[in-house]
Amino acid sequence: MAKDTGVDLLQGTLDMLVLKAVSLGPLHGYGVLLRIQQISQNRLEIQQGSLYPALYRLEHEGWIAGEWGQSENNRRARYYRLTAAGRRRLEVETKKWNQFADVIGAILNTVPEQL
Amino acid sequence: MNLFSRITTWWRAVAKPDELDRQVREELEFHLESHAEDLMRSGVSREEAWRKARAQLGSVAAGQENCRAAWGSQFVDELWTDLRYSLRMMARSPGFAAIAVGSLALGIGVNTVLFTAAQHTLLDRLAVPHPQQLRLLAWTEPKGGAVESLWGWFDDLPGGGETSTSFSYPVYQQLRKQNSAMESLFAFKTLDRQTVTLNGRAEAVTAEMVSGNYYSSLEVWPQLGRGIQESDDGPPGSGPVVVISDRFWTREFARSPHVIGKIILFNLTPMTIIGVNPRGFTGAFSAQETPDVFFPFSMQPIAAPLKIGESTSSSLLTNTNLWWVLVMGRIKPGVPDRTAAASFNVLLDAAVRATMVVKNHRPTPRMLTMDGSRGQNPAAEGLAKPISVLLGLGGLVLLLACANLANLLLARASARQREMSVRLALGAGRWRILRQMMTESLLLSLLGGASGLGLAYGVRNAIPRIMSNAWGPPAFSARFDWRIFGFAAVISIVTGLIFGLAPAWQATRVQVSSSLKEAEQTASRRQRGLAGKTIVIVELALSMLLVVGAGLFVQTLLQLGHSRLGFHPDHLLLFELQPPQTHYPGPANIPLYRQLDQRLAAVPGIRSVALTSVPLVSGNAMGHTFIPEGQQRKPEGNPSVLFNDVGERFFSTYGIPMVAGRGFNAADTETSRKVAVVNESLARKYFPGLNPIGRTFEAGWNHPIRIEIVGVCGDAKYDHLRKDPEPTYYAPYWQNSNGIEQATFALATSLDAKTLAPTLRQVVQSVDRNLPLLDMRTQDEQIAASMQPERIFAGLTAAFGVLALILACIGIYSIMAWMVSRRTNEIGIRMALGARSQQVQGMVLREAAWMTLSGVAVGVAGALALGRVVASLLYGLKSWDPMTFAASALLLILVALGASWIPARRAAGVDPIRALRHE
Repeated sequence: MAKDTGVDLLQGTLDMLVLKAVSLGPLHGYGVLLRIQQISQNRLEIQQGSLYPALYRLEHEGWIAGEWGQSENNRRARYYRLTAAGRRRLEVETKKWNQFADVIGAILNTVPEQL
Repeated sequence: MNLFSRITTWWRAVAKPDELDRQVREELEFHLESHAEDLMRSGVSREEAWRKARAQLGSVAAGQENCRAAWGSQFVDELWTDLRYSLRMMARSPGFAAIAVGSLALGIGVNTVLFTAAQHTLLDRLAVPHPQQLRLLAWTEPKGGAVESLWGWFDDLPGGGETSTSFSYPVYQQLRKQNSAMESLFAFKTLDRQTVTLNGRAEAVTAEMVSGNYYSSLEVWPQLGRGIQESDDGPPGSGPVVVISDRFWTREFARSPHVIGKIILFNLTPMTIIGVNPRGFTGAFSAQETPDVFFPFSMQPIAAPLKIGESTSSSLLTNTNLWWVLVMGRIKPGVPDRTAAASFNVLLDAAVRATMVVKNHRPTPRMLTMDGSRGQNPAAEGLAKPISVLLGLGGLVLLLACANLANLLLARASARQREMSVRLALGAGRWRILRQMMTESLLLSLLGGASGLGLAYGVRNAIPRIMSNAWGPPAFSARFDWRIFGFAAVISIVTGLIFGLAPAWQATRVQVSSSLKEAEQTASRRQRGLAGKTIVIVELALSMLLVVGAGLFVQTLLQLGHSRLGFHPDHLLLFELQPPQTHYPGPANIPLYRQLDQRLAAVPGIRSVALTSVPLVSGNAMGHTFIPEGQQRKPEGNPSVLFNDVGERFFSTYGIPMVAGRGFNAADTETSRKVAVVNESLARKYFPGLNPIGRTFEAGWNHPIRIEIVGVCGDAKYDHLRKDPEPTYYAPYWQNSNGIEQATFALATSLDAKTLAPTLRQVVQSVDRNLPLLDMRTQDEQIAASMQPERIFAGLTAAFGVLALILACIGIYSIMAWMVSRRTNEIGIRMALGARSQQVQGMVLREAAWMTLSGVAVGVAGALALGRVVASLLYGLKSWDPMTFAASALLLILVALGASWIPARRAAGVDPIRALRHE
């Protein structure tokens, strides 16, 4: 359950990143990790232990759906894809995050002359 | 958000945890392998790659658990843990669990059963649509009113006069014609013991005579055929039809649909079955029991003729003197009862003046309307009081059970204080601990509730069974009332929760460090002590109430059982005959009885035969106005005495001694001078200081007969065991010119009913094939049946009393044991300082004695206050009987001190060294 208030920032952020990663195409758990690392150019350190509970949490909420499939090296893997509800959620989260980032950025970038 | 996915995932997590665990494991393993392969590809050695991958992902088990938790399984998992823990706790102290569950079960079970019976007898409504609209017409008149002759229910008013629900048929007809306040007035009358002959076999049935608009006004539609209609209730003899009850249909016709159109002999009158009442319909008279057959009033003169007093006709429909018909109607919406009663009052006065001669300006009756939704509700009258007393006692038991549970839970909570502290110290949340305690309390309560339900369901028919006599069907069949079970269950469960949670709440507020050190927690200790002591005192007071109640009712039973009857009830077999009036009108049944008298006396094994018109100790008696010679009739009426028509050998059969004069003999015939034997009470009251033999008296009011006293017999009880013998005279039945409508034969024999029954039936049928032999029982059984309420009371209250003693015993033991264990240190110090073990023991016992005495004192006060309520149910002793009170108090004190003895011994045996080291 993602917290809308953003108090638990890390958790909320991880959920959002997972949703974003999956929105670009179905991925298995390891794939999600790789994609986030790839997009962030390895600047984000993801706690692997909390990745899977996050995936299950999102599935519990009905934002992503998991099903078994074939991996690139011909192994059974569970692939996650974004659901319609998940897409709406991602939009809401993205908008919120952008607003939040704008506000915080504006505050932090304030210089004395602007007051 | 997405409820569906939440529920499906939650369900998978809860119901198929293994499958989910496998899935997570597979995912995680895939992750590990992929990661390790990637690492190896980048040049890391295989071993190192796997180590790194594992370290970064963390443990698989933790992952499994976290993923499951993400699917919402935590609550269920914890609940399961709590449940398992609770069960372990219960298994560890099975005594505690058994007592807690047992007392809850008793409280719930006893009350459910009692309330079910009470609800049924007192509150059940007629099974008709909108019973709340029904009003039963009734009237009241002062002493010496216009109504002289009454057949039906009546209630004596305190200042003289009476209230009744019976009307004469002509008055009913006039009321019905002129009625405007109610929808329509209909009439009915129940008849016991009518004879129906089916397939050549005669049997006794109950019947209800109904008016032609009865079915339409009650809005009852038979499940088969049709109801009785206006066209059936025309001139006398116009409707030879009957509607039978569902029960009768089942019993006699095995629910055959071909029963419609069948002709049965009702009192030897052929009548056609036209319908079967719906199941559950019990007629308008009672909501408990249905009559077997319903027939129209038009058939009364033919099928149920009755000649009353001086009337020359056996039709009651034209009799203007006898008031016997019950009248009911549905009140019109919006018409207040008072308006209806007022308008009927005018009608009644006119109807009375139009139909009967009102002598000497006697006051005419005044109309009342009574709630008719329960019919006449005959069951309520006699049972309301005993049932409410039983309910009260049941309530006390429930209270006691709750107090006991509270006490046990408090004791246990304080014993577990340390456990709470350890759990808090180890990081358990307060809410988590409360949840654990709540689970335990709920588990106990639910087990108690379930056992209570089982108990109540198992014995739900016990009350009706013990309320009916040995030879009849059950008084009624109780339906199981879930609302009442729910009520008792909720009360007990709430008790369990409050007393289970309050201490836990307290415990979790305690500073961890201080309680772990077991520094004396004076605050909570005093609270527990105070709460516990209060509860124990309440328990003892309740026990005192119940024990006193048991003492009073058991003694009542014993006193009744040993009361002087004035006759010998042993080896007397009774049966009854009610020859139908259609065949034996008026005195025509006398020759039948005389014939039977002789034939029965000739049966081997029967020593003597005595007929009575009213069986002894049956709750019934007959009375007559009694004017001894030399006294005048008074316009306001003369006193009346009891009488009984008896056979020639009545006195010897019943062992009633003749004190003077003679009994009846062959010289007293139907045509000779009328004679009577009076009992000593009558002789003393009406002929003080005189020899009554040879004197005469006048009996009866309208058509008095002059009777000569030929003998005086000893006093014997007549209608009730509780009543001392009243002035009574006995007359030979064959001199009763009206005949005997119903006769009881008493046979002195050493044979039992089973052996003799076929012979008796044969004898009766040799005289009349269509005469059923009714209610065969012994006189002892008859007496036992009359003591049924007392036996119920004695049995139940004794059981309650024993239960109360046990619970009080447990209560005081548990609190004393707790106090001794809390004070081990103190006792150790005292002993180290030189206190002797007797002194320590005395100290503990003093404390117990103090609580016991307080409880007993409160209980005595309560019992004295409540005594007035039960006074009328007692016999042979007062509700404040000092012996009972003293004995109960002594018993309770002994039991309580006995229970405290064990903890006191333990205290006395404390080893000072070990006690001090215990710190």
